[in-house]
Amino acid sequence: MESQSLLGSHNSTLNSSGSTATVTDEEWTEDSSSSSYSDSDSTIPEWEPYVDDFTGELLYIECHPFVVQNKDTKNKTALPEPLTRNNLRRSTRGKFLKLLRRRDSKRKSKKNQKSVDINETNTSKVKFQELHEGEEKDVMLEIDAENRHNLSSDKSLAESLLGLIVSTLSDGNRVMIAGFSYDSKARQERNIKIGDWLKTINNIEVNVQNLDDILQKFINRDDVLLKLQRVAGIEVTKDPPINELNIESDFVRELLNSKLDEEQSLSQILCNHPVGVVYIDTESLKESNQNCEDVIYCFPKPFQKNTLVTSRGMFITINHLLFDLTKSRPKVSTIKCNGQRANVVFTNIDKKLFLLMLPENKITQKEILLLNNEIIRLLKFSYEHLDKCFTSEKYLQQVDNLFFKLFARTLSNGLWSTTEQFGAMDNSDAKNNSPQFEHAMPVAPSLCLPYEAQVQIDDALSELEASDYRDWNEEPLDCQRLFTVLGSALFHAGYLLATHFIQDDLVDVYCFCKQQGLFHLSKTEPVKSLVLWKEVFPSSCNVSQNTTIKIPDGKRYLLVVESGKDILAVIMEAAGCTEPPEENLGPDAFYVEEAQATLAHIQELGLSELSERILSLEPHPQIVRPLSRNNKRKSDLLTFSRSSLNSGKDLPKKNEVTSILKKRSADTNLVGPSISSNSLQDDSCDGQSEGSGSQGGYSEISDDSRKNFRRDLKYDSNDDGSDTDEYGEGSHVSIASFDVSEMRQYILSEIEEFQPPQLTAGSENVLYHFVQLDINQGILLCPPESRQQTTAYNLIINNFRRISLEIHFLFQNTIRFKNMPPQYIAKSVINKSLVAIKEHGILFECPFLDDQENKKYWVLGRLFYTSRPKELYVCFQDGIPQNLIEIAFKINMRSVT
Amino acid sequence: MSAYIMCGTSGGGLPIFSRKKGNAEALPFSVIGSLNGIHMFGKPLGIEVLETLTDDYAVSWREFEDSVIIIGAASGCSIEVLNRLLEDVFNAVVLVVGIKEIKMQRNIERLKRELRVCLPVIDRLLDSLDCGDSNKYSSDIVGFVETILCPENHLIQIVLESFTECVDSLFCCVLIEGKIAVGTESWWSLHPDELRLLSFLAVSENTTDSKDIPVYLPYKSLTVAFRFVVCTLIPDVQICCLCGPKPTLTEIEHSATQCFKNSTDILTAAAQCLPRNFPLTYHIDSNILGLLLINITTKKYMISQIPQQSSKKTNIGNSHRLDILRTFFYRAVMNNLIQSDKQDQSNPSVNSEICENIGIETYWCSEFHKCHALKINDNILCVLYNSAVPTHALNAITEKSFKQLISDKQVCW
Repeated sequence: MESQSLLGSHNSTLNSSGSTATVTDEEWTEDSSSSSYSDSDSTIPEWEPYVDDFTGELLYIECHPFVVQNKDTKNKTALPEPLTRNNLRRSTRGKFLKLLRRRDSKRKSKKNQKSVDINETNTSKVKFQELHEGEEKDVMLEIDAENRHNLSSDKSLAESLLGLIVSTLSDGNRVMIAGFSYDSKARQERNIKIGDWLKTINNIEVNVQNLDDILQKFINRDDVLLKLQRVAGIEVTKDPPINELNIESDFVRELLNSKLDEEQSLSQILCNHPVGVVYIDTESLKESNQNCEDVIYCFPKPFQKNTLVTSRGMFITINHLLFDLTKSRPKVSTIKCNGQRANVVFTNIDKKLFLLMLPENKITQKEILLLNNEIIRLLKFSYEHLDKCFTSEKYLQQVDNLFFKLFARTLSNGLWSTTEQFGAMDNSDAKNNSPQFEHAMPVAPSLCLPYEAQVQIDDALSELEASDYRDWNEEPLDCQRLFTVLGSALFHAGYLLATHFIQDDLVDVYCFCKQQGLFHLSKTEPVKSLVLWKEVFPSSCNVSQNTTIKIPDGKRYLLVVESGKDILAVIMEAAGCTEPPEENLGPDAFYVEEAQATLAHIQELGLSELSERILSLEPHPQIVRPLSRNNKRKSDLLTFSRSSLNSGKDLPKKNEVTSILKKRSADTNLVGPSISSNSLQDDSCDGQSEGSGSQGGYSEISDDSRKNFRRDLKYDSNDDGSDTDEYGEGSHVSIASFDVSEMRQYILSEIEEFQPPQLTAGSENVLYHFVQLDINQGILLCPPESRQQTTAYNLIINNFRRISLEIHFLFQNTIRFKNMPPQYIAKSVINKSLVAIKEHGILFECPFLDDQENKKYWVLGRLFYTSRPKELYVCFQDGIPQNLIEIAFKINMRSVT
Repeated sequence: MSAYIMCGTSGGGLPIFSRKKGNAEALPFSVIGSLNGIHMFGKPLGIEVLETLTDDYAVSWREFEDSVIIIGAASGCSIEVLNRLLEDVFNAVVLVVGIKEIKMQRNIERLKRELRVCLPVIDRLLDSLDCGDSNKYSSDIVGFVETILCPENHLIQIVLESFTECVDSLFCCVLIEGKIAVGTESWWSLHPDELRLLSFLAVSENTTDSKDIPVYLPYKSLTVAFRFVVCTLIPDVQICCLCGPKPTLTEIEHSATQCFKNSTDILTAAAQCLPRNFPLTYHIDSNILGLLLINITTKKYMISQIPQQSSKKTNIGNSHRLDILRTFFYRAVMNNLIQSDKQDQSNPSVNSEICENIGIETYWCSEFHKCHALKINDNILCVLYNSAVPTHALNAITEKSFKQLISDKQVCW
């Protein structure tokens, strides 16, 4: 398939005349329909091979293009489902589908042609300075015997046989290694590096055209000799897609790879830090215990190197002694380990004890308590019970991997570093972490969309949840459904857009996605497609926790599909009225497609674009940015230079873009403030939505990012445009198509009215930041993180987080006291002065603030305790007295409407 | 509602003393041994256990001079306060026996005997924990020394100067119910912890007789002992001085009577200031239920519960007010408005960041009361209001009271 598409694209570049291109297209479609579309009703989904045979679990990630021209076409051909499934959603009639598909692919080949054209003209991507003295390497590679005879349609020959994903070097002819397929042998081969030029196979020179032919020849050999040449000195020109992509896919690879590579050496590194987890059976602890029989699980391994294991006796004693002495369970201990302070959190589970240790300079005592809760929650959600996850062999690797990632992340100050990066990390790094507050809480940050958008999402999710398939099929379905949907939630770049989960389940899913790095992925490198399937144990269905409600005996599965920055998470239940649950059930293609179609539908409605725009409003309309001393002047300069740019060289480029973006730019206009001149208007909007008001070198850098942004837009608009196009073509049947484009227009225009009320009293907005924690609902409301960082802003925000966390723990006294049964109150040793506090505020002076008279700002926290506790934290400039009740009211008003 | 302190040798784990506060039972020996064992166990592994938090309790292990370990467990209070208390307890031990005796540990029984003098001081120290229950000494604050602002202070100061010359000691002060009314310049140059311990020592056991106790100063003089002499002038009012082998106690008593015989009226009037602790003439807003004035450089404070003028129903009992003020100070003011003088060596960057973020005002609102603290230069005033006062008015009222308190030169603040 890859070969064909490559061939096709090559042909079309060669023959730019329409007629020849159509011929090749035609051939190509014929071929493809015979190979992959032969079974018209159920295409074998591309993730199918990745389903774990034993557990039925799946994590499949398909990345965005490696090198634009080739991968692009590959993706298009390999990933038909968002388009085809949309059709399927409306009609499952095979014939029509076939027709559509045929058109579909034709359209795509045309697109190939276009994209290649673009790439040919656009040479400023990445230049590999091809120094011919680059080192040559010979590599013997085994041919994958399994794949030899069942060549998958959506993989290239090189991928199936060698496990290599190939692309071309900048001349468009020579073959470059662009990546490795999942669990291939080539991946382990150290001599093959991404970016290498594949010169020969068994001493036959290869190029893009003959690669597949050559591979065909060797299909029955056991192994082939590859000659590779390092293409040295990668010159990164204006924008560096390849370079970046390589790093990004490292992260993805890490996500996919649940085994720990180089485990030994990395464990060694971890052992030098005061980090660790241990799960101990306190009952089987004996004096003469030599082989640590009581230790059920520990990480890092081995036992002897793990500080917690060697000193576990101490913690076990603390655990029971202090309970005897004080009648309350120990929560956290601080120890000094090799001169470094570290905190150890206690979690008692029946007779077992779970300990987690992390250094204090990376995570404070209060933060580690929150983190521990999150870990416990995650383990319970993923494995039902801690016993199960630590005793069952099949989970151990996953759990090891989870803790490794957690420790690596904590030690590298919260960065999602890959194994390799962590190994290379400077381990003496004693830098402190910036304080955490809102993102350490068990709440999902949510983004409030305009009303109509919210309705549309809810509608789409409800439809998915209802799984009412009667009307979609001509023949009545005579089988029981496989799953009932317990709930679903939609996230965009880590922000919750809508949830139909029970609160606890929402937090479960949120923690899961967060700790698994899915949100990080969606924020930093939007993938083409991601499918995750896993058996889970949501809190709402945990039999041991809910004794009052009868929970059907069955299994629950988490399905996460991601596309771009959007993540749709669904929990499905196989119990009660469904088909009886199977052991280790894998994902069902139909349900996955349903979820993907729902996500595609939501994206089509423009909702992800809408959220993106709301997120990129800089600053968020409800807050103001504290300006640094020198910054005000700079920002003045900035606006000046921007306007001068507008009049100058920026204009022609602008025009070029608007021609592609015609429709889009009309939309974008609505975001920004209206400025009289048309061309200016566009520009200001762009500047705003991309948020690249980076101070200083505006001309160089932001120009670049601007270009990037435009390219993205272009890419997007192509994509979207074609979607709607397609709808136009297929609109004979799809009744909804009209609605979709209209609705999209409407929703996107709604952002015009997106004018949230000012939260603070007084004529000027003085609010720097706000956080509303609704732990009961699992919802967090706060303005999105700013991409513009200034000293003053960082100082204030870090201080805000530090203080807010203190205040949060202060409020716990009040909440605890209120929940205390009256008969215990007299006996309780709680400090009576702390039991009724509902508001706490501190005024600070920030030396970096610009304002001459007023450098002071408040950090306030308030606990609302009506029926359930809700906390609000705000940070604002001193001057006008603010009423927190009023602010809370205004915040909530917006979240309701 | 309970607190325990135990002290043992860190090498052998031999108990030296153990004290408790509140209605808790005394700790059995086995528990003391286990607590000590936890600390000992970690040593060969290169691990030192420092503190543990439970839902209600804070537990802290502190080893001093590689020779004694002091373990504290207390409910309701924060770990910072408990840690500070353990230091004070150690200083109290040093005060009585000196650092050498502690390090040598030749004879534990003798050490125990010698420490009997300081046990009342240690018990009193325990009262500075904010366990949330009211007691007689809810006014004690860890790390700060209590003063009393009598309108007669400037007069007493003059008499005190003449007494200083008589006894040939620069370190003298006048205590009213254990609170410093006036002290010489040198007296204030002592470390606040030393001042605090000496004040407690002066009022421990009985206040009627004169005392002559040899003391080591935990900061100033760890190895050489001074004589700490206390004479009672009138009930509740004592004069203290630190001196060398001369003059004798009788000579000092004589000098005291000579100097103060004409000032008894002044002293009686000054003692009238109790329990308000600041002049009656000051007009204080009727919504104010209590005051705490602190100087953060000299580490002295004045705390007052203002008796309700009218006998309106009060939500809070009088001594409970001091508790609230103190807890407010410990939890909200101490961390946020006062820069910690001890730089934490292990993470200096945290401190540098906090330095840039020292607060200047703080408040908290509870259902029954409001607390407000304002910092002006080196002084902080914490005020306890009833809950009817609107939050935005707190600042103005506090500032008004503040000015009145610190502008008066007569009270020698």
